Amino acid sequence: MAENNIKIVSFLCNWCSYGAADLAGVSRMEYPADIRVIRIPCSGRMSPKFILSAFREGADAVWVSG
Amino acid sequence: MPLKYAINPDICLKLTKDKCGTCEEVCPANAIDYTQTEEHITINAGSIIYSPGFTPFDPSKFDNYQYANFPNVITSMEFERILSATGPTMGHVTTFPKLPLNPKKKKDKLLAQKRKDPKKIAWFQCVGSRDINKCDNPYCSSVCCMYAVKEAIIAKEHAGGDLDCSIFYMDMRTPGKEFEKYYENAKDKHGINFIRTKVHSVTENPETHDLNIRYVDDFGQIVDDTYDMIVLSVGLEISEETKALSEKLGIDLTSNGFCKTNSFEPVTSSRDGIYISGVFNNPKDIPDSVLDASAAASAAGDALSSARDTLTKSVEKIEEINVVGERPRIGAFICDCGSNIKGVVDCEAVTEYAKTLPYVEFADESMYACSQDAQSKMVDFIKEKNLNRIVIAACTPKTHEPLFQETLANSGLNKYLFEMTNIRNHNSWVHKNNPDIATQKAKDLVRMAVAKAALAEPLKEEKINVNDSVVVVGGGLAGMTSAKSLATQGYSTHIIEKNNQLGGEAHKLYKTAQGEDVQTQLNELIKEVENNDNITVHCNTTLESADGFVGNFKSTLKSDDKEFELEYGIAVLATGAKAFVPDEYEYGNDERIITSLDLDKMFKVNDTKLDTINSAVFIQCVGSRQPDRPYCSRVCCTHSIDNAIELKKRNPKMNVFIIYRDIRTYGESELLYKEARNLGVIFIRYEVDKKPEVTIKGKNLFIKVTDHVLNMPVEIKTDMLTLATAIVPRKDEKLANFFKVPLNDEGFFIEKHAKLGPAEFATSGVFLAGSGHYPKPVNEAITQGRASASRALTLLAKKDSLFTSGIIANVDPLKCSECGVCVSICPYSAPMFATEGRFEGKAEVNPVLCKGCGLCVASCRSGALHLRGFDTNQIFSQIFALGEVV
Amino acid sequence: MGNLLEHMGIERDRVHFSWISSAEATKFVDVVKEISEKVRALGPNKKLVKDYN
Repeated sequence: MAENNIKIVSFLCNWCSYGAADLAGVSRMEYPADIRVIRIPCSGRMSPKFILSAFREGADAVWVSG
Repeated sequence: MPLKYAINPDICLKLTKDKCGTCEEVCPANAIDYTQTEEHITINAGSIIYSPGFTPFDPSKFDNYQYANFPNVITSMEFERILSATGPTMGHVTTFPKLPLNPKKKKDKLLAQKRKDPKKIAWFQCVGSRDINKCDNPYCSSVCCMYAVKEAIIAKEHAGGDLDCSIFYMDMRTPGKEFEKYYENAKDKHGINFIRTKVHSVTENPETHDLNIRYVDDFGQIVDDTYDMIVLSVGLEISEETKALSEKLGIDLTSNGFCKTNSFEPVTSSRDGIYISGVFNNPKDIPDSVLDASAAASAAGDALSSARDTLTKSVEKIEEINVVGERPRIGAFICDCGSNIKGVVDCEAVTEYAKTLPYVEFADESMYACSQDAQSKMVDFIKEKNLNRIVIAACTPKTHEPLFQETLANSGLNKYLFEMTNIRNHNSWVHKNNPDIATQKAKDLVRMAVAKAALAEPLKEEKINVNDSVVVVGGGLAGMTSAKSLATQGYSTHIIEKNNQLGGEAHKLYKTAQGEDVQTQLNELIKEVENNDNITVHCNTTLESADGFVGNFKSTLKSDDKEFELEYGIAVLATGAKAFVPDEYEYGNDERIITSLDLDKMFKVNDTKLDTINSAVFIQCVGSRQPDRPYCSRVCCTHSIDNAIELKKRNPKMNVFIIYRDIRTYGESELLYKEARNLGVIFIRYEVDKKPEVTIKGKNLFIKVTDHVLNMPVEIKTDMLTLATAIVPRKDEKLANFFKVPLNDEGFFIEKHAKLGPAEFATSGVFLAGSGHYPKPVNEAITQGRASASRALTLLAKKDSLFTSGIIANVDPLKCSECGVCVSICPYSAPMFATEGRFEGKAEVNPVLCKGCGLCVASCRSGALHLRGFDTNQIFSQIFALGEVV
Repeated sequence: MGNLLEHMGIERDRVHFSWISSAEATKFVDVVKEISEKVRALGPNKKLVKDYN
């Protein structure tokens, strides 16, 4: 993986942060393209296994947002 | 009205001069058609709902505030846009927000350069409301006090702590639910200044464009001050177009252009079959407009109940193809969204890339995947290529997932064999300056979606059986209205009333604010309810238990020591509120000291004592708006003023005083306040820390209060003292627990959504009406009664087509260790232990109650729980897909 | 979680938790920027990564 190309695996709650990300798009805001979003139905769905697995798969960071 | 662009035919060069035509050339969807003309369409309708809304008052005709001439005087509507992230200043509060009007003009350019962050902003209330000198709007617009407080708080949040915000007002009117606390917080926490005065005029410093104002403060002193910006809190008006259309429709209007209604039928116009809602039916805020809308739907539906289902067309159902056990054959569709995605992302490359991914049989790029022809093409491709999983890379699933799922269903695929990934909102729109990175990200997202889709399984939606009878708890105005509407539309309804008669607190009222006799209309309503074949009234009855969930409730009822059971599908909680019993102002120590309801009773029976009274005093906010009960009881100002007018009419020589804190006669009730002043009712204001003092000296009754005009204590000798007591909730925790619905700090029920769901609970199948929600007058209680019925009907009407979501948890009983974590952790009580059968003791999930959050799945230590549609292996597959080296 | 990862040699700043309502687009963007900056400062993660070779 290239030095300047980092990957942040992002678990976003469908009802909250995913909506905020949609709205950020609608508002044409700009932000770094480092995040890769995995939509989850609720932050309650999150499990530590997912975080460990993400690192194992080479994620540079993990972000969980409700 | 669809959210689409339209051509303004008055300006369009093609239509006016047959020039240009550029839009037709550039539109990739060929959607431009210059030949379209105005069409007249005739629709046969049984009921009409008329919601023409309002226009904001235009303050440019006021010469004293110079809105038209001073660039830093703006309206509240304009300020609302300035605070918005998508507004002209991107949410940044700045002076000269309206400029540059013309960037080429030197004068505008100079002004734009003067833009600065304001240090002081003032709001002027009642611009175009409560004013018959400068305009003809004598009514109160009801919403401006709250929105001014909100704007001031948000302005401070945007600008940082040192912004000085002042609101200049006459009476602070925050009589809505949770509004008074918001107002108190604005003062105490946010440091917003509230100055009770009407500013006479505004002048401008021609050099800096700062605004100088002059006003008289509470102590009678003239104050000069300078502000960077002034926001005019403009009122709500009915437009001339609306008035003209209303006249055409034959609807009676009030002198201010609002619709004339009866308090007992608050959404019915004078013309049979036309129902109304919104500000056109008296100025109101969002929750009240939403209630009006639901109520109008109930009234319109009541009138048409005999015609229900006569024009329904059913959709032909397409047989589902069984794909279980088949190797995934994925179809990936990449949407350009015109230039929205393609303008940034190399969609062609993404499509080519998608073709290389495992299990992908077919990939296609389309200009607008959501368009009609793209959809039908998609159906063809699915059939032709025998696809059994679909991935769509387009916009957000939150808006478009249902549309594509329908396309799947139309081609015979289960709608859960589908995955959507967002390469617009989360990608092209936010990385528009980095096309290479955005294309790479789109590829990653598609790869993740394909990996997840490969594991998608067809999911079943369970049919929910709905028992279509309704229980209404509480037989007051709201409860009876709700029951009557539901019964009229054909549903069996039970009213549970704990007292020995229907009618509740309304029995104690004399007249409505509009002057209608309450008892006559109340008795009529009771008779209608009692004679309705679909309504069973259970008086002297209490609810002892409630089990179950939407469509399947079961309760034990108790009536005179007899217990019986009732099964029903829907519950409406209309338990109301009661009058506060005062513990101050010598109440109970003298029979001349009474409450508002006592006075109503005297009017009702035409008590001869009324003839002997020469002086009457009302004290407002008794038990309301104080630290132990911080809310405003909403109805008392109008009630006392109405009663004061009644006293004055009976005996014009009587001295009538109303001792108040803020007069809150919102909407057209303001006209009563004006009438009372004209009749000579004297209004004296007090502060909460300087309450009036009541003394009984021998035969005489004295009230001492500091007059706000004289700033001196005055003593009034009176024959009667009426205490406008608070309305207190019943705080029925037992009932709240039965239906798993919440109560707020004061004990009022908390609705699903303060603005958009005011007549229902978050608990599915349970609805709310009346003063148990918040104190309210007759017409508003009836509106909410109708609204709750209308919301309940949306469930009842589709009882045969009610399905659970496919995205729910399920248990693998062979792995379940019966630990009980899922049972205790679920906020919706969906998992429980099976009580019978082969897997007795193991957990099972009730598909009706499960909301698909996945909390139990994450908590299950045995790995026995699975969340369909978001199963652990699917999320892992996305993570793995991300990890694969590109 | 943070402790466990730190124990495994993964820096605290590589795991973030936040709560953003669906109306808070600005906050969303701020959080993304903040995380991105912090992670870029740390550079790519090399711990725990599965070795494909």
